Amino acid sequence: MRVKVDLELCQGHALCQEEAPEVFRVKERPGAYDQVELLDERPPASLRAKVESAARHCPNRVIRIEQE
Amino acid sequence: MTEAAHPVSLPRRQVPGAKPGTGHFEEFLAHPAKLMLRAWRECGDFAELDLAGMRNVLIVGPDALEAVFRAPDEQLSAAEAYQYMVPIFGEGIQFGAPLELERQQVKMQSTALRPDRMRGYARVIAREVEDWIAGWGDGGERDLHVEFKELVLRTSTHCLLGSEFRAKLSDEFGALLHDLELAVSPSSVLDPYGQQEVFARRDRARARLHELVSAAIHERRRSGETHPDMLQVFMEVSYLDGTRLSDDEIVGMVIWIMFAGFHTSSNTATWTAVELARHPEHQANVAREIDGIYAGSGELDFAALREIPRLERFVFEVLRLHPPLVTLQRRVKSDFHVHGHVIPAGDTLAISPYVTHRNPESFPEPERFDPERTYPEHVFAYIPFGGGRRKCVGNAFALLQVKSIFCALLARYEFALVDPPESYQDVMPSLILQVSEPCRLRYRRRAG
Repeated sequence: MRVKVDLELCQGHALCQEEAPEVFRVKERPGAYDQVELLDERPPASLRAKVESAARHCPNRVIRIEQE
Repeated sequence: MTEAAHPVSLPRRQVPGAKPGTGHFEEFLAHPAKLMLRAWRECGDFAELDLAGMRNVLIVGPDALEAVFRAPDEQLSAAEAYQYMVPIFGEGIQFGAPLELERQQVKMQSTALRPDRMRGYARVIAREVEDWIAGWGDGGERDLHVEFKELVLRTSTHCLLGSEFRAKLSDEFGALLHDLELAVSPSSVLDPYGQQEVFARRDRARARLHELVSAAIHERRRSGETHPDMLQVFMEVSYLDGTRLSDDEIVGMVIWIMFAGFHTSSNTATWTAVELARHPEHQANVAREIDGIYAGSGELDFAALREIPRLERFVFEVLRLHPPLVTLQRRVKSDFHVHGHVIPAGDTLAISPYVTHRNPESFPEPERFDPERTYPEHVFAYIPFGGGRRKCVGNAFALLQVKSIFCALLARYEFALVDPPESYQDVMPSLILQVSEPCRLRYRRRAG
C-alpha cells in the first residue's frame, strides 16, 4: 500500500501518531499548526490495520491509502 | 483550468424577495438557515443575497467549497467578515489581531487540545457527567436543553480553567458569558459598537471576566502550581518572538474557546437526545454498543471513547441535519474565480453547512435521518466543523465530549419524546442553531 497525506489540510491533531507511530510523526512547527510527517510512505502489510485506523481517526481526513 | 478557458463570469442568480434598503436581512434575522436553504433551492449553487447592503454569494457544491476552503486568508478573509466578534474576544485577539499573530494564537488553541491533554479532559468530563446524573433516579421528565447547557458549562469551565475555578465560579462565569452572547445577534453583525444596553452589558461582562481570569492566573503564578487544564497551556505558550500571552490575551483566548465550544456542544447534545428519542430502534442499537464497551473495559477512558462507531455515526447524522453553525463567511479580498464564476473583491462568500448537508447529490433523501446512510467520499460534502486551514480545531474534543455524555446516559437510561415528534424544531434565536424550547424528554432506567 502507499500512504499519502494532504498537508494543506493537516492541522496536526496527532491522532494518526497515536494509532500508527511507525508511519506518522507529528512535527512541531513554530508559529503554525504542527504537521504530520510520513516516516514510511510504503508501510509493510503488517501495519495495514494501524494505518487504516489512523486514516479513520484523522479529524480532517487528510490520510489516503492507495493500493499498488 | 476552467477558469482560464472561461474568463467571462457566469451570471449569478439573485434570490427573489429582497426588500428595498434591507434586502434579505429581515429574513436572515428570523432564521438564517431557512433563508440560505431557500436561496439555494430557488437559485442554485451561486445564489446572490443582499444582507442590508452587503452582497453575499452562497457557495454550495463540494468542489466549489474545496476551492474556497483551500484559498489563502489573504484572498478570502475570515477576519474581515467577523469583525463584529472583536469587542467580545478583545482587541489583539483572533480577528482583532494581525493575521500573523492570529495564526500563532490558533496554534496555541490547538496545543491546548492535543491528545496528551485530551486524556486528562476525558477523565474530567466523565466525572462531571457521573456527578450530574447522580440525582436522576429511576425516571422522570427533563428539559434536556436546560440540562445540557448546565452540564457543558461545568465540563468546559473545568477543562478550561481548572477544578477550583469550576467549583467556585462556574455560575458567575456562565452568567457573564451569557451577557456576551446576548450582544452577538444577526443585527450586531452590522454595528457592534452602537449605543445599546446589550453592548454596555457586554463590555461590563468582558471587564469582569478579565478580573476573574486574571485573579486565577495570579494565584497560579504565586503558588507555582501547574494544572492539567487549558489555562495552564495559555500561561506557558509563547509567540514566535518569545513573548508570552498577556493576561488580557489569555482572557480573550478563554472567551474564544468558550464561544467556539459551549453552545455548539450543548446544542449538539440536545439534538442527539431528541433524535435518539425519535428513533427507538437506533437508540437500542447504540445502547447495546455502549454496554459492550463497559463490559470490556469497565471504564470510559480516552482510548475506549475513540472506537464507538454506532454512536459516532449517530452523532455525525445529527451534525449533518443540525449543524450548530449554519453559515460561515469570508470577505473576498481579490477577485475569486471558481467554476466559471468570478466573485469580485468586496463581496462576501457564504458557506452553509446546513444547506451543503441537504444536497441530494451528496445525501439522497436529505431530510431523512439515517445514521446508517453512506456518506460521500468528498471531504467537502460534509462540513459540520468547516474545513481547510480554518477548520474548527476543537472537533475531536467536541466529539469526545458528546460521546462521553451519551455513553454515561445510555448505559443507564432510555429516552422518549414528551411532545409530538414534529414539535422539536431547528430554531435560531441567536446565530447558533438549536432545538425549539421547551425540549422535554422522558427518561426511564433501562431494564437489566
